[in-house]
Amino acid sequence: TFLTRVLFTEATNEAQQGKLESVFKNSEPIREDQIQNAIKFLSHPRVRGSPVIHRRSFLERKGLTKEEIDEAFRRLPDPPPSSQTAVNTQDGQQVVSNVLQPQGQIQAMKPAPAPVVMIPPPSLLSRFRWYHVVLAVGILAASGAGTAVFVKRSLIPRLKSWVRKVMSEEESDPLEKADAKPSLAEEAVAAAKAASAAASDVARVSQEMMKTKSEERKNFEDLMQLLGVQVQEMKSLSNNIRYLERNSNNLPKVYSANQEVYSGLVKTPAERRPYANGSNIDYDSRSARSTSPPAPPADSSQPPHPKSYMDIMSMIQRGEKPSNIREINDMPPNPNQQLPNPRIAPKAKPWVYGQPPQDESSNGPWWQQKNPRSADFGYETTTARSIGIRNETSTTEPAAIQKQRSWVPPQPPPVVMPEAAEAIRRPKPQAKIDQEVVAAASDDQSGVSDELQKVTKFSESGGDGSGRFEITEIQEETEHQHIGQEGN
Amino acid sequence: MPMFKAPFNGYSVKFSPFYESRLAVATAQNFGILGNGRIHVLELSPGGPGVTESIAFDTADAVYDVCWSESHESVLIAAIGDGSVKIYDTALPPPSNPIRSFQEHAREVHSVDYNPTRRDSFLTASWDDTVKLWAMDRPASIRTFKEHAYCVYQAVWNPKHGDVFASASGDCTLRIWDVREPGSTMIIPAHDLEILSCDWNKYDDCVLATSSVDKTIKVWDVRSYRAPLAVLNGHGYAVRKVKFSPHRRNLIASCSYDMTVCLWDYTVEDALVGRYDHHTEFAVGIDMSVVVEGLMASTGWDELVYVWQQGMDPRAS
Repeated sequence: TFLTRVLFTEATNEAQQGKLESVFKNSEPIREDQIQNAIKFLSHPRVRGSPVIHRRSFLERKGLTKEEIDEAFRRLPDPPPSSQTAVNTQDGQQVVSNVLQPQGQIQAMKPAPAPVVMIPPPSLLSRFRWYHVVLAVGILAASGAGTAVFVKRSLIPRLKSWVRKVMSEEESDPLEKADAKPSLAEEAVAAAKAASAAASDVARVSQEMMKTKSEERKNFEDLMQLLGVQVQEMKSLSNNIRYLERNSNNLPKVYSANQEVYSGLVKTPAERRPYANGSNIDYDSRSARSTSPPAPPADSSQPPHPKSYMDIMSMIQRGEKPSNIREINDMPPNPNQQLPNPRIAPKAKPWVYGQPPQDESSNGPWWQQKNPRSADFGYETTTARSIGIRNETSTTEPAAIQKQRSWVPPQPPPVVMPEAAEAIRRPKPQAKIDQEVVAAASDDQSGVSDELQKVTKFSESGGDGSGRFEITEIQEETEHQHIGQEGN
Repeated sequence: MPMFKAPFNGYSVKFSPFYESRLAVATAQNFGILGNGRIHVLELSPGGPGVTESIAFDTADAVYDVCWSESHESVLIAAIGDGSVKIYDTALPPPSNPIRSFQEHAREVHSVDYNPTRRDSFLTASWDDTVKLWAMDRPASIRTFKEHAYCVYQAVWNPKHGDVFASASGDCTLRIWDVREPGSTMIIPAHDLEILSCDWNKYDDCVLATSSVDKTIKVWDVRSYRAPLAVLNGHGYAVRKVKFSPHRRNLIASCSYDMTVCLWDYTVEDALVGRYDHHTEFAVGIDMSVVVEGLMASTGWDELVYVWQQGMDPRAS
C-alpha cells in the first residue's frame, strides 16, 4: 500500500506537471521536406567522413528537431562496405548513444573519435602482418629455391671439376685410384657437408630475416601509431579550422605569434583541445588556455584586447610561463568535512507570488535607496510606464508585499517521502520500470485464482466423497495467501 | 557607488540569496589564460557606501563562476578552470576550505547554477560539451547531459519548474532539458554564432533570453520557438552575460566585451533603457540581487567590482 501511495503521488505529479512541462517539448509534427534535405546532406561523401556529432550539430543549427534528425539517419541508404565499415560502425554506435542515453556515455563518447582513427591502423597492421607472413614464406621459398638452384649450379660443377681433377690425378697415379673412391666418398661427404652448411646458412639467413622483419614490423607499428596520432591531430586541426571559418570569414594565421592578428588571439577553447598549435605547451598537468570569448564576427572589428593580455598570450606561445603563478594546494583539507547546518530559512523568491513586487522607496542602507529620478538613461519613462502597467494588472495587495522583506516565510514542508522525490528526479525509464512492477504484482493476483481453478479441477477429477472437503480446505488456504504466494 | 579592486581579473559576481549585503566574486589571474584563481566574499558596509572583503579563497586554477547555495547560507560553489567543482563554507577559515572538490569534468567548468525551487541540486556547464547535475552531499554527479557539440557556456534552472533547465553552447544551439528525461527536450538554433549566456524570465516561465558573439540578445518563447520574440541590438561586441531581473518582468541586464553594462526592456520598441560604461576592460560578470530590488553588481577584466542601484551612477561615491 505504501508503494502504491508513492506511485499514485508520482503519477499525479507527473500528470500535473506533464500538462505544464509539455511546453518545454517539441510538439511539431515531422516535416518531410526537412528530412529530405537532411538525407541529401548526410549522403554527401564528404559529410560521411565527418563525425556524427558534427553532422547532428549542423542539422540542429538548421532548425531540425531531434525526431527529424533521427528519422533522416534512419532512412539513410546502406553505408559503403569494407574499408569504411570500421568508421561507420563506430558512428552508428555514436548515433544510438546520442539518441538513447547520453548520460552514461560521456567517457565512451570522447574516446570514440579516437578509436575511429586508431582502429584502421591496427587492422592495416594485421593485414600487413598477413602480408608479411606471406611475403616471408615466399621469400623463404624463393631463397630456398634459389640456394638450391645455386647449389645445383655451382656446387655440382665444382664437384664435377673435383671429380675430373681427381680422375685425372687418378689416371696419372694408379695408386691414387684407391684414394679416388674414398675421395669420392669424401667428396660426397664434403658435398653433403657443404649442402648442410648451405642449409644452415639458409636457416641462419632466414632467421636473421625474421628478426629484421619483426624489427621492421615493430618500427612499422610505431610509425603507424605516430601517424595515427598525427592524423588525429590533423583531423581536429581541420575541424578547428572549419569552426573558425564558420565564426569569422577572414581566417588569418590562427596559430601565429603575430600579435597584430587579433583573431588569432581570440582563440576558441576548441583549439586548446588537441594542444597542437605548433608551440607545444606543457605545464605539468595544466595547459594554457585562451580566454573563452570566441572569435567575433567577420563583419565588425575585433574587440581590442588589453595590452597585458597580448603580452601574456605571446609569452605563452613562446613557451614561457608567467612568473606570478604560485603553487597552491586547493584540495579539501578534510574531505569528510560536514556540510554546515543551515541556520537561516530560505527566503521565498519575489516571483513566487506571480506578480512583480510593487516599487517602493526604502529608507534602509544606501544599497536599498533608489534614485527617484533616474532620468539620465531615459529609464524614468520606462519606469513610469511599467509602473502604470503594473498598477493596472497587479492583483497582490501592497500590504502583503511590504511585509515581504521582514516576514520570513516558513520553511518548505520537509519531503515526507524522499523516495517519491527521488523517483521523480530519476529519468523516466525508471518510472516505467516501477509501473511494470505494479503490473507484475497484479498479474500475480490473477495467477492465484488460476491456481485455485487448477487445484479444484484436480481434486474433482480424482476425488470421491472426500473431494468436497479437500476443495474447501484448499479454498481457505488460498484465501489466506497474498501476493507473495508459493506454488503448491 | 562603491567598488572593490581585486588582484585578479574578474569573471563572475553573484549576490547572496540570504544576506542583503553579501556577494561573491570569481576571479582569475592573467585573464584566466593561465594562472591561479581567487574567490572573494564581499560585504557592503552599512555605514556608508563601501565594499569590503570579508574572506577570500585561493585556488590553483582560474575561477570562472561562483554561486551561492540556496539551502545553506554560508556555502558557495565554484567552477574552476582545471575542471573541478569546489564547495566552500564561508563560515570556516580559508585553511579549512574547500570542504569538497569534485573532479569529473574533462575541461574547464564555465558556469554553476543552484536550483532556486528545489534547493537541493546544482548544475555545472563545461567546455567538455557536457552539463552535470550535482547535489552537495553526493560524492559524484547525479547525471551528465551530453548532447552539445561544443563547449557549454551556461546552464540555468527554470525559476518555476524545478526539473527544467536551459543550456547555452558554442555549438550555436540553446537546449531545454528536463532532468527526468534522458535527453534534451528542445533544441533552438538561437544564433549563428556561439551563444555565451542564457537566462529565464522569472515571471514568465516559458520565456528566456540568449546572448551571443553576434552582439545581440534574443528573447525566446519556448511555445513558439521558431522565431524570437525580440532581438536586442546595441552592444558593440560579443555579449558575455545576460540576466533577467528578479523584480521586473521585462527587464534584462547584460554585459559585453564593449565594456558596457546595459539594461533592456524587450517589450518596447526602443529596448535599450540604460547603459553603464564604468568598466575599462571587458565586462564579463553581472548580477541583480534577488533580495534587494534594483541592486546590481558587475565585474570585468579591469579587476573591479561595482555595486550600485539601478538609476545611479556606478562610479559616484
